[in-house]
Amino acid sequence: MIFLLPAMLVLFLTTIYPMLYAGYLSFRSYDLAKPFVPRVFVGWSNYQQVLTSGDFLNALSITFQLMVITLSIQLVVGVGLALLVTQRLPGMGIARTLLLIPMMISPVIVGLVWLFLYFPELGYLNYFLSFVGLDPIPWITSPNWALWAIAIADIWQWTPFIMMGTAAALTSLSPEPYEAARIDGNTRWQVFRHVTLPQLKPVLVSLVFLRAIDAFKIYDIIFVLTKGGPGDSTEVLSLYIYRQSFTFWQMGVGAAASFVSLIIIVVLITLFFKSLNRDQTA
Amino acid sequence: MSAITLRSVVKRYGSVEVVHGIDLDVEEGEFVVLLGPSGCGKTTTLRMVAGLEDVSDGELSIAGRRVNEVAPKDRGVAMVFQNYALYPHMSVRQNMEFALRPLGLDAAEVDRRIQEAAGILGLGELLARKPAQLSGGQRQRVAMGRAMVRTPDVFLFDEPLSNLDAKLRTQVRLEIGKLHNRLGTTVLYVTHDQVEAMTLADKIVVMQNGHIEQVGTPEQVYAHPNNMFVASFIGSPSMNMIPARHEGGRLRAEGLDLAVPSRFEGKLPEGQDVVIGIRPTGLQRAEPGAADAVVARVEVTEFLGNEALLDIRVGDHELIAEIPAAGRPAPGDEVSLTFDPSVIHLFDPQTGATLSR
Amino acid sequence: MRPFLLAGIAAALTVSAMTAVHAKDYEGVELKMLAIGDTSVTRLAPIVGEFEELTGAKVQIDMFPYPGLIDKIVIEASANRPSYQLMWVDSPWVGVLGESGALEDLTDWVKRDAEEIHLDDIIPIQLQENTWQGRLLAFPASGMIWHQNYRKDLYEHPDEQAAFQEKYGYELAPAQTWDQYIDIAEFFTRAAGETLAGETLDKDFYGNAQAYSRVAGAITHDFFPIMRSFGGQYWDPETGLCAMDGQAALAAADVMKRLVAFNPPDYLGLMWDIRTGYMERGEVAQSSYWSVRTVRLTNPDEAVLPTIGEAGYAPSPTGDGEPQPTMTGALSFGINSKASDREKEAAWEFIKWGTSRDMMRRFAEEGSGVSQFHKSILADPALQEDYPYYQVLLETQENAQRRIFHPFYADVEEVFGVELNKFMAGETETAEEALTNGCTKINTRLKVFPEELRLRWINDAPAAIFQ
Repeated sequence: MIFLLPAMLVLFLTTIYPMLYAGYLSFRSYDLAKPFVPRVFVGWSNYQQVLTSGDFLNALSITFQLMVITLSIQLVVGVGLALLVTQRLPGMGIARTLLLIPMMISPVIVGLVWLFLYFPELGYLNYFLSFVGLDPIPWITSPNWALWAIAIADIWQWTPFIMMGTAAALTSLSPEPYEAARIDGNTRWQVFRHVTLPQLKPVLVSLVFLRAIDAFKIYDIIFVLTKGGPGDSTEVLSLYIYRQSFTFWQMGVGAAASFVSLIIIVVLITLFFKSLNRDQTA
Repeated sequence: MSAITLRSVVKRYGSVEVVHGIDLDVEEGEFVVLLGPSGCGKTTTLRMVAGLEDVSDGELSIAGRRVNEVAPKDRGVAMVFQNYALYPHMSVRQNMEFALRPLGLDAAEVDRRIQEAAGILGLGELLARKPAQLSGGQRQRVAMGRAMVRTPDVFLFDEPLSNLDAKLRTQVRLEIGKLHNRLGTTVLYVTHDQVEAMTLADKIVVMQNGHIEQVGTPEQVYAHPNNMFVASFIGSPSMNMIPARHEGGRLRAEGLDLAVPSRFEGKLPEGQDVVIGIRPTGLQRAEPGAADAVVARVEVTEFLGNEALLDIRVGDHELIAEIPAAGRPAPGDEVSLTFDPSVIHLFDPQTGATLSR
Repeated sequence: MRPFLLAGIAAALTVSAMTAVHAKDYEGVELKMLAIGDTSVTRLAPIVGEFEELTGAKVQIDMFPYPGLIDKIVIEASANRPSYQLMWVDSPWVGVLGESGALEDLTDWVKRDAEEIHLDDIIPIQLQENTWQGRLLAFPASGMIWHQNYRKDLYEHPDEQAAFQEKYGYELAPAQTWDQYIDIAEFFTRAAGETLAGETLDKDFYGNAQAYSRVAGAITHDFFPIMRSFGGQYWDPETGLCAMDGQAALAAADVMKRLVAFNPPDYLGLMWDIRTGYMERGEVAQSSYWSVRTVRLTNPDEAVLPTIGEAGYAPSPTGDGEPQPTMTGALSFGINSKASDREKEAAWEFIKWGTSRDMMRRFAEEGSGVSQFHKSILADPALQEDYPYYQVLLETQENAQRRIFHPFYADVEEVFGVELNKFMAGETETAEEALTNGCTKINTRLKVFPEELRLRWINDAPAAIFQ
């Protein structure tokens, strides 16, 4: 028992105490920048402010849009790459290693890398587009493009994660059903669709689940690339919370928004797994 | 027209040749077993027939048509794998449906074929189950059913019984035999188990190191092995092998002095080195005063029921004799044994080839 | 007799000041400064060794980008044990820092050392910029106004003049009204392949560059001066509530929206420095901005424009062409109120040294650096020769108005940054909607406070240093 104490202490100090304190804050008016603003108990009003705020609902919607875009593309491309790198082809070992690099880079650096690529007027991406005769794209300066620009950076960084997990699962699949399918004469697509994919499903579900949680919390890349703009076209929940807490210094509102987000994601995850279980038993 | 023909078929992986130009004819409706120790090239040969491996050299024909370049699905073959190769997430019925899918049959025909196969293999109750819910024997029956529904010209079996325990193995072996009798389809069957080969095969192909050592009926390979390898590989316990020398119409070895069996008379030059081969059943207790009786010392006896195996020592040679269990000697006893001249084999010690012809 | 006495006192003071400076009184004191990485600091940072030689105090300047700097300062101010004794202060932050008691009151020191720091020579509004309730909380290190920069060489080109006259029916000259400004922007917006001043363009040329980015409220830094030029004010003097949705604000938003078409296509991402970059590279015909970076337009080491053309300078256009008090700003140095007394004294010495007229003249002669705020420097004919915009700075500050200094400035900057950016991006239909949204959000926060307090927060009491 005594050996657990340090671990429990660390857990308490780093996880439980901040959670409790955030919970406490969410019922208070607390302006960090302005000690002259009264710091008092305000009941549910922070929560009310969050839930009735158009900005919060917009941020929620943007967060989900981004999640759907990045997850679906990461899934398709990641599985495709996994299928490719698990082939016994020359160079695949190196390709596999190279493809993992984006995942190892800190998201802030990823943001900076893409900032150089997207940068208005001076960015490399538009420079390359000009070679193929395309007009420059206002990547991070147009509300029509900015969310896609962020999605592309996130996809670039996290597709390898899906790839790695899928490749590991693929190599653990028994080869014989594939030979059986070959002799039977099913097409590659049918084999993939009916043999490979169903066997990958549990792994893919876990991978998507982990990515979904991360996508819900996306912050660094957006902070570097657009800080939520143009307009509020890339204002995700984390940025909303950040702005409430550290631009408007309304720590209580920020804490309340964090808890609302937490509840939303817990509910969604529960629903997601419920529906999966229904699938399994059906 | 042969169902399957191999002409000088070679398989190479890079610079390593694993099958060295083999020739084989499998007749229509025949049950042919490729038998040999692991690494002998039998599975590779089967996989070449299936189309899962390319033929490096030579010609492979199925039903009179060269198929070296033909895709597996177009060869009219169906294969049953050692690990069953069932689709783990599909039910028994779905496994069969998926195998039928490329044939583009209508639903009624698909259902008819599945019902038929299920009937023959006793899978009726199991159609809705998934592989994980089946026993090993059931899984292997499903794998056969999946091969069957496609009504192929040739069934290919790759060690289908090796993952089963001994009892099931016998049972499924019998079922495979019955199935072949009933369907009459050509079968090419790979195993390292000579019992399976002997019980199932119309024709056994014994392979070693990428060569075919002998092709023949079970009786032929058992009674008339072409060489020492076939002789010792077929039969259990193995044939006893004793190096000897032909001197003045006698075969002499340490502690052994036998008359040359009459069928070899005049065929053996004086002073030729030979290897005497005799199955344990060819050694029997000598009647008192019998000619050429050999005195042996019993080291171990193994009781098998009707028979007993004696591990005996004759001079330097350790031999095994299989005798009626009744009145068997005890370890340490000295016994007098005779070699049945009609079942004595003689081999060339250099080439291993039989001297019987 | 009297002049002689005065001279004697002055000499004595000078000697004592020099003794103070040479005595290394502050040996062992270490000062850290939380600062911006922009010209008001970057010129000074490399030479803090000189200050150490004079006083013995070591100074370390940590520089950060403007976005996020106020966050660091607020956190620093809310800490019990300060890690920075000196803080760089943008004048709009004076309210929140002053009301929180984060900055040391410099009033008495300034009064004491008035002569040494040539207080009379400093443009008064630059000092007023740094007051909160009449107390001076920071000292100017760079003094700004918002004015227009234009391509003098293009404006004076005969072909362009004739074409402009032809098209608009009046003479091409620095805009006095926003309508003229927009005309000029439209006139000079040309695609690659068209002709500009007799030469064929190999890339697009833009009529104007303004900051439209929402990041750190960049768009508001152009919007509020335009609002001011229409006579607008931030606050309703009766209630202390938001007035930034009035007629002047609507007109300003309209001007910025109309200018969009003549801006570079990435206008929504234009931060201050990117925007000034267009002007500095000579890729736009005009651009109005805060004067901190104007000096670069005169320096071929820092800008392309001086090598391919010439910049001209003029006050901000106004709504009706009649003069309006322009908006000022100050980039200043303040002292953390939680520093020790000895540190505070050393910090004040540092501020005096780093913002002194001699230092400013040194920067001016080096041809880069700060926006000047001493009358004698701005009026110096030799310097005016090199920096023609000094005259604009001097004249406009005769009658100027200080920028916002409300304790909720950060909210104003962020809320209006986002709302205006959304309007410019077309996400919000009308300027009215955008500005009303902005004011509603600000007022929601302000209405919980008593009117008396709100009025105090917008009250600009005259600086006590002048009394």
